[in-house]
Amino acid sequence: MEPPKIWRERRERYLGIGNKCLDCNEKSFPRTDYCLKCSSKNIEEYKLSKTGKILQFTQVTQPAQEHIFYSPFIIGLIELDDGIQVTGQIVDYNYDDVKEGMKVRMTFRILSIDNEEGLIKYGYKFVPY
Amino acid sequence: MSSNKVYVIGYGITKFGELYRQGPSSLAAQALTDAIVNSQVDKNQIQTAFFGSLVSSSNSQPSIGASCIRNCNLNIPITRIEAGNASGAAAFYQAYLSILSGVYECTAVIGVEKLSDYVQSGVIERILGSTIDYQWEYEMGATLTSLYAMLTKAHMKEFGTTLEQLASVPVKNHKNGVHNPQAQFRREIKIENFLKAKRISDPIGRFDPATYCDGAAVVILASSKYIEENSDISTQIPILGSGQASDSLALHHRDSLTTFSSSTKAATVAYIEAKLSPKDINFAEVHDSYPIGEILAIEDLGFFTKGEGNKATQEGLTELNAEISVNPSGGLKSRGDPFGATGVAQIVEIVEQMKGSTGQRQVSDNNYGLTQNVLGTGAMSYVNIFGKDEVKK
Repeated sequence: MEPPKIWRERRERYLGIGNKCLDCNEKSFPRTDYCLKCSSKNIEEYKLSKTGKILQFTQVTQPAQEHIFYSPFIIGLIELDDGIQVTGQIVDYNYDDVKEGMKVRMTFRILSIDNEEGLIKYGYKFVPY
Repeated sequence: MSSNKVYVIGYGITKFGELYRQGPSSLAAQALTDAIVNSQVDKNQIQTAFFGSLVSSSNSQPSIGASCIRNCNLNIPITRIEAGNASGAAAFYQAYLSILSGVYECTAVIGVEKLSDYVQSGVIERILGSTIDYQWEYEMGATLTSLYAMLTKAHMKEFGTTLEQLASVPVKNHKNGVHNPQAQFRREIKIENFLKAKRISDPIGRFDPATYCDGAAVVILASSKYIEENSDISTQIPILGSGQASDSLALHHRDSLTTFSSSTKAATVAYIEAKLSPKDINFAEVHDSYPIGEILAIEDLGFFTKGEGNKATQEGLTELNAEISVNPSGGLKSRGDPFGATGVAQIVEIVEQMKGSTGQRQVSDNNYGLTQNVLGTGAMSYVNIFGKDEVKK
């Protein structure tokens, strides 16, 4: 796990910050230094909607090394209320009870813990409500 | 495109599987040596080599080409190309361009991967994390399998695709693979076994994905000029069209989950260059790393209408010598999937089929063959079209 990388991405991962173009209104996540649509550098930070719905989901029973601690878990494709889509885990819910279209809210959780260094990577996950 | 054509003039392939006795450069050297012998060219006439590989090896030597070339006693410039699971096809495309550009007359394409060294749980999943959006999919917990599971569910929802239809893909491919001596799994598997298997990422069952393994495959390419000067070369399979295209890396940035637009775009480029349509293709080697991969492929490549690849497969239209023979080699599912080697192995199969040397898995109409190799969940696709008799026209 690379501390500088975690630090660099902290506003996106911890606060859900993307950016919005002041010229064409295009919203994007993750952040970029210029608008993906019109290439303008006239952009400002934009906070993602805290709620959204599940577009698609499945269960992960064979995760990568750093996520084995949480296995099995649910992963989903989430459409936030502002139209931006992200991938994230669906937590505090049984897999069999999760349905497409279910409303979810963003929550702040541990994503993974480095086994050797003990470093913790935090980020957003989603809870159905 | 220029009138200069590029020809496959030789090939070599190792057995695919868990080859614990061989390291990556030994596998690559074995396939390269076989290909040089097969092509009947003096090895000093090969001017350069392109290596396709995702991770190459556990000994942290990404410049695998250097040790392979030394093992073959060659001293030529080498380039390593990485495009995830499609690294082999990506290397092939660069070699193709290097000849079309007029810089080289004779080049080698080497696809190789050595994956059986990674025995710890979760390591391959991490390696495959580099083929999806590492930051915003993989680090959030997604795996390649879980993303393919969502693609499968999307197809089931939109087109009513059933688990039986999905399972008919690996059933067919295992049936073909029985006759492929290079394949890792040379046995048929009953549809019930697929349906009864535990779900590893619902609706993907334990036996559905292609298995990662070790292997190397090589093709030697030459220009029209080289062919004219060496007309006694016994293998002369022209590349009629070749295309590559990309799509967003993450599924959450896609407009549709029921198509790989990179495949459609790459195929369109290849069809236009070849002056052919999907109907002309007799057989194809497509990326069936998951059952939905082959169903998407046969739709996106234009063999069947969108949403009908499921029924077509179940009805047997893609079986050996049916409407179109899809994956006569057994595909990634039966042959095994050493990532970088797969794209080149697909081309080796096309060439062997066109030479009529594939025994019981031989397709009867072998004039036009197509390959499709995909990176991750379709972030890149490579499509090639070959023609057996074009050289005589």
